[in-house]
Amino acid sequence: MPAAPLLQLQDVGRRLAGRTIVAGLDFALDRGCVLGLLGVNGAGKSTTLRMIAGVLAPSAGKILFEGRDLHEEPGLARRLGYLPETPPLYAELRVDEYLAFCARLRGMRGADAHTAVGRVLERCGLGEVRRRLCGNLSKGYAQRAGIAQAIIHDPDLIVLDEPASGLDPVQAASIRELVRELGRERAVILSTHLLHDVTACCTRVTILHGGRLRYDGTLADLAGAHEGNLESVFLRIASADETQAAA
Amino acid sequence: MIRTIVRNEWRRLFVQPLAWALLAAVLAVLAYFFLLTLQGFLGLMPKLAGMPSAPGVTDLVALPLLRAVASVLLIVVPLLGMRTIAGERQSGTLPLLQTSGAGATRIVFGKFVALCGFFAVLIVFALAMPASLAIGTHPDWGRLGAGLLGLMLFAATLTAIAIAASSFCHQPAVAAGLALMLNLVLWMLDAGARYEGVSSDFINYAALPTHLEPFLHGIVATVDIVYFVLIAAAALTLAVRRLNAERERG
Repeated sequence: MPAAPLLQLQDVGRRLAGRTIVAGLDFALDRGCVLGLLGVNGAGKSTTLRMIAGVLAPSAGKILFEGRDLHEEPGLARRLGYLPETPPLYAELRVDEYLAFCARLRGMRGADAHTAVGRVLERCGLGEVRRRLCGNLSKGYAQRAGIAQAIIHDPDLIVLDEPASGLDPVQAASIRELVRELGRERAVILSTHLLHDVTACCTRVTILHGGRLRYDGTLADLAGAHEGNLESVFLRIASADETQAAA
Repeated sequence: MIRTIVRNEWRRLFVQPLAWALLAAVLAVLAYFFLLTLQGFLGLMPKLAGMPSAPGVTDLVALPLLRAVASVLLIVVPLLGMRTIAGERQSGTLPLLQTSGAGATRIVFGKFVALCGFFAVLIVFALAMPASLAIGTHPDWGRLGAGLLGLMLFAATLTAIAIAASSFCHQPAVAAGLALMLNLVLWMLDAGARYEGVSSDFINYAALPTHLEPFLHGIVATVDIVYFVLIAAAALTLAVRRLNAERERG
């Protein structure tokens, strides 16, 4: 029997306040893959990522992490890193203090935690702000501190909710570079509504629209098989409903 | 794991002005109150000297002070406890704790222990005032010790209530209001009933003062300890359940 994929979603759906947010999500993900979850605002991207991260329980279907149910074994959550839409920073702590807390929270101790903090500070380019309060960070640094928190415990799966939103082009480029690097040995899922994020750092793309998965393929497939490019595929999917609704 | 959460709570509590300001203000008010009662006691001393079994300094100075500490805690605990979970929810840091694999029980318990530690410091400082009378007289150490234990249990129970209130709210201010209301209801429950001429064992049992007063008079009874532990455990269980339900409710 082949080994179970790192992450597998089986017919996952979620209702919130009586409304279906996402339904029928089915896909699998393995190490070495950067999956871009593309969709317009309100497509259900954040809900999907919150379920994968274990913050939200699916109301239908299963989310399996190496074949084990994340909902039944919440301890598995330690093997993934999650950056929510707003970076989960404690405004009153210094960046290095905050990261040390995150490391210890994930079970690292003493010297291990210390090295891990040093490593992510360097990796995320936070060295010069390490002694600043999280609450005083600029948007770009706050986002990077959020990513640092998500990778400090060297997780197998990294879930990033719009990591490059609100950043200037230079910061966005450095984050894309970081994501590409992370995706070499790990699995990364990131959500975005920017096509450029996907073409710049993802190996695979899924398009979510109206809470359903409308497209799933590698970037290479997309370039070969589909007429045109990612943009035309995305716009076609995103505008299909509007045309239907207008008719 | 719990130690990490406790340390983080302490750290965050003490890098912000709220905890320091409350500690300073509360101790200043209590010191003022202590000096007033001491003054009153000194004025009464000549009269007391002539009485056969006159109340001592512990009755006339320490007891009112211990009661004042209890009243202050009713207000201060909700103020410091309001942020515990509602604050995390508001600032978007709750997912960090949820995805840490720590589990709701450890999160809630860690926050509980941290806050109890803070209030323990406050109570010890407050009791240092009557203890300082040992310089000139002989306070009843047994009674002060019982009072200390009683106030600690009382503070722990109020802390658990504040955390439970915080777990149900999205805004810390609302959580503080809710906790304060619950505290006042538990504090005045029996007084209201007695005023109306209702004497119910249950109402008397449910009220906080019924169980705090014996401690302040130097009586340590299991029934009172059990009461505080029960209320605290129930409140903490509620908070854990609410935090667990977070994943379902979204």
